[in-house]
Amino acid sequence: MSIDLLVQALLNGFGLAMVYVLVALGLTLIFSILEIINFAHGEFYMLGGYITYYAYALFGLNYFATLGLAILTVGLAGVAAERLIFHDLRGRALNAFIVSLGLLWVMQAGAQLAFGVLDKPVPSAFSGVVRVFGLVMSVERVVVTLSAIVLIAALYLFLRWSRPGRAMRAVAQDPDAAALQGVNIDAASALGFGVGCALAGGAGGLLAPLFAVSPAMGALPVVKAFIIIIVGGMGSLPGAVLGGLLLGGVEGLGALFMGSAAVNILGFLMVIVVLLVRPRGLLSGA
Amino acid sequence: MSGPAAGVALIALTAAALPLITRDSYYLDVATTILMNLTLTMSFRLQISTGQINMAHISFMGIGAYASALLVTRAGLSFWATLWIGALVAASLAVPIGSIALRVSGPYYFLITFAFSEVVRLFFNNFFEGLFGGPSGLVGIPKPGRVLGLAFDSKLALYGLMAVMCVVVVLALVRLDYSRFGLTAGAIRQADLVAETLGVNVFRYKLTAFVLGSFVAGLAGVFFAHFRQVLHSSDFGLEPMVLLVVFTVIGGTGSVWGPAVGTILMTIASELLRELHHYEILVFGAVLILTMLFAPEGLVALPSAARRLLRRRRRQATAPAGAGLAP
Amino acid sequence: MMRIRASIATIAMVALVAAGIATRGAAQDKTLTIGVLGPLSGGAASYGVELVRGAEMKADEINKAGGLKVGNDVYHIKLVSYDHKALAADAATAANKLVFQDKVKYIIGNAVGATCNAVQTVTEPEKVLFSFVCWGTNNLGPDKPHSFRAMLSQWEVAEPFYRWVKEKHPAVKRVALISPNDTSGKDTNTAVVKALKGLAFEVAADEYYERGTKDFYPILTKMLATQPDMLDVAAAPAGEAGLILKQARELGFKGAKGWTAGTNPFTIIGVAGKDAAEGVWSPTNINVKSDFVSPTVRRFGEEYEKRYKEVPGVIAVANYAAFDVFTKAMQDARSLDTDKVLAALTQKPFDTVWGKLVLGGKETYGIDRQFLYPVVISEIRDGKVVDIAQVLPAALKK
Repeated sequence: MSIDLLVQALLNGFGLAMVYVLVALGLTLIFSILEIINFAHGEFYMLGGYITYYAYALFGLNYFATLGLAILTVGLAGVAAERLIFHDLRGRALNAFIVSLGLLWVMQAGAQLAFGVLDKPVPSAFSGVVRVFGLVMSVERVVVTLSAIVLIAALYLFLRWSRPGRAMRAVAQDPDAAALQGVNIDAASALGFGVGCALAGGAGGLLAPLFAVSPAMGALPVVKAFIIIIVGGMGSLPGAVLGGLLLGGVEGLGALFMGSAAVNILGFLMVIVVLLVRPRGLLSGA
Repeated sequence: MSGPAAGVALIALTAAALPLITRDSYYLDVATTILMNLTLTMSFRLQISTGQINMAHISFMGIGAYASALLVTRAGLSFWATLWIGALVAASLAVPIGSIALRVSGPYYFLITFAFSEVVRLFFNNFFEGLFGGPSGLVGIPKPGRVLGLAFDSKLALYGLMAVMCVVVVLALVRLDYSRFGLTAGAIRQADLVAETLGVNVFRYKLTAFVLGSFVAGLAGVFFAHFRQVLHSSDFGLEPMVLLVVFTVIGGTGSVWGPAVGTILMTIASELLRELHHYEILVFGAVLILTMLFAPEGLVALPSAARRLLRRRRRQATAPAGAGLAP
Repeated sequence: MMRIRASIATIAMVALVAAGIATRGAAQDKTLTIGVLGPLSGGAASYGVELVRGAEMKADEINKAGGLKVGNDVYHIKLVSYDHKALAADAATAANKLVFQDKVKYIIGNAVGATCNAVQTVTEPEKVLFSFVCWGTNNLGPDKPHSFRAMLSQWEVAEPFYRWVKEKHPAVKRVALISPNDTSGKDTNTAVVKALKGLAFEVAADEYYERGTKDFYPILTKMLATQPDMLDVAAAPAGEAGLILKQARELGFKGAKGWTAGTNPFTIIGVAGKDAAEGVWSPTNINVKSDFVSPTVRRFGEEYEKRYKEVPGVIAVANYAAFDVFTKAMQDARSLDTDKVLAALTQKPFDTVWGKLVLGGKETYGIDRQFLYPVVISEIRDGKVVDIAQVLPAALKK
């Protein structure tokens, strides 16, 4: 087992971790502001993928413009979902669980009926391969990872410096105090849900050329997102990044030494260990 | 005790009456499934009553199922013995797993039990394939053998067996809910810190509910194995577990009868939806959303919600005009 | 407000019940009801949906031509399909519904291994003829005389395929294979490894991945480190197979490529890209647009695409052919009685879209219930599927 192989394995794992972090951040944002877990989150990711397929693969729009379109459209869809469905469920986790499950089924079945059941390929926007010190990475993956990092940074700045971002953080910390301070809770909730879904949609758009789009494509990223949030800490942005790197590293290295089922078990064991040792996550308290 | 006794009697009578109305194999199949799911959701609700949403409930069903299947096919034991052994195996494994999981609470408990359930499912799917059948599943499990001169080969006999099991379980769980255990459980669910200060060993209550619930799940699992005669890890994964949660919550977690209402109505609804073929899942999802939005306390709470509303309307109608001090 | 909401919920429930009863539909005299099962939702939906579509195409064809003439009667064919969501217990309930409520005697179409076993617990005791595309080895057997596999499985194609590879491409010595971690994947890899060892190839890697995986870099890094001459994506479905090939190329793999259990070449070419898909050999692919298929197949493909807006894969074609075979057997038997039709099925070869088709498989399964038709080995060249060799199963060589 050469060092090269080990490093390549780690690189493989990290490579797309940042995109899964995007999905995780969306989920954790929604959890912080509305105190509910949105199980349909993967379907918003899927929506972003299909928008990319139609706008970029079929219609020919510029890739980055498509990405922007996907982020915006899915964000609006998220706001609509919050206003119509999740609005009254703030804090009612069990009910929100059932409702988001229903939404998941509606969206997935709807996508299958509307878009067809076969995988739809999306052409790569960037071709070629980068070789550095014997390690390989496709240009596409590098661009995708960098784009994800840009989006994560943008989210951070938005939450930290903008008014709506700070309002959302206030609601996440203490909704009553925020209300007393004049923050419009309803607006912050809708915006929070929208931004959370927009992140998922962006992730879907980024991964579409790599992985093709299909109605059930949202299932796996959501599971990864859960693992990432639990390990890193719910409600923590740096925690999600750390969680993503840890999961990526474990999966990348794990694949070298054991079968896929065992690697999956590894991910869940990691979750169990973290929940027992530091239930709030490694970097919680943000 | 007339309320709960009436409820149990109702279930028992309906279960007994069904074979008089129809002997259709399909209806018996659905009815047997409903009764089996009822034992699962009521035991799930037992755990919810102490404030825990245990996403690994179905895993214990699986443990009971595989244990019995293997003991019968490999060791030649009788179903009538493995029924108890399987459930005991599930309960014994519930002790360590529960003890670990109960170290956290709330959403973290939800997540850790979910993680456990995936580990168990992956274990059954991929390890010890010679024993568990791997991804191809375990086939050739025989139906229960003869006992007391009764044969259990027919759908009707199996239905009868499940009906008896279900009524017994429901009786036990309802009595438990109305006993001191139930009251304490309720207190724990509302505010376990307060309960703790009042001298309640919260951890012991939760663990008891966890183990008891897992025992019942194990029983249901053993029945499932010899009813379907085929086992696959997907039968004990996220999809069926999620359905149990749906049945329980839509029924209403506030009352011990919630799961009954939810399981019966939602199973019938989903069977009817089969007619929609491609659209089945879409409509089922929409039904979930609408039901939760319009009946947030669950279907079982609808009558009392309606009553409350009527009372309020009547009071408003006879109240003097003008603002005054609202009640 | 609450009362209005509550009554809406109750009305919705009642409406559901009424709709369920109403859509049962009026019975017609001389109707032949045939059942189709499959996963119509979730990750495996493409299998179930293709099964239903293939059956629908044939049923509609027959109905439009005036119905199915069996003996002196003419039957209108009615299809009833249910979604089992790839869950074994659900499949058992759905099978119960088909057999006892809809009173079907023929279930033509099912996929996903464990569900086949579950359905058989219902169909075998009731002597319902059950045809499926599940690849599990234990799905066929002398204890299951009413079960048929309608598509060539890995046991029928692995050996002829690799024998051809050995003959025509002797430079290939080390083969790495990968399949999803489920029944069809396990059985496919087992069959391929057996064929490889029997033909003195070296098995460089024998790997599995979880269905739904999209990122194959980790597992490919491990596989490619064993320096294989050929990469076989075995039982991977088209979308995932395409991703494996694309990512293998990115990681520098330039060797031979195979797809022992190929299903839909368009998807694999689309997802992998022309370069990565170039040169893929497959013994089970069918390309309905290829220059090498019969006009019947080409027409089937055109009509299918017009109707469903998607190109058919091998599963749709397989179920179309299965439906064809069963209805022809009914006509030969001049009866709908399953015992008579069973006898008629095993009599002689049928002419189908695959060419000549006959039942066989006794050496592998102990009973002749496997549909056998010519194994056509194809290669993807410049984005097109080109048939390059044909291997007849022994039973058809007479």
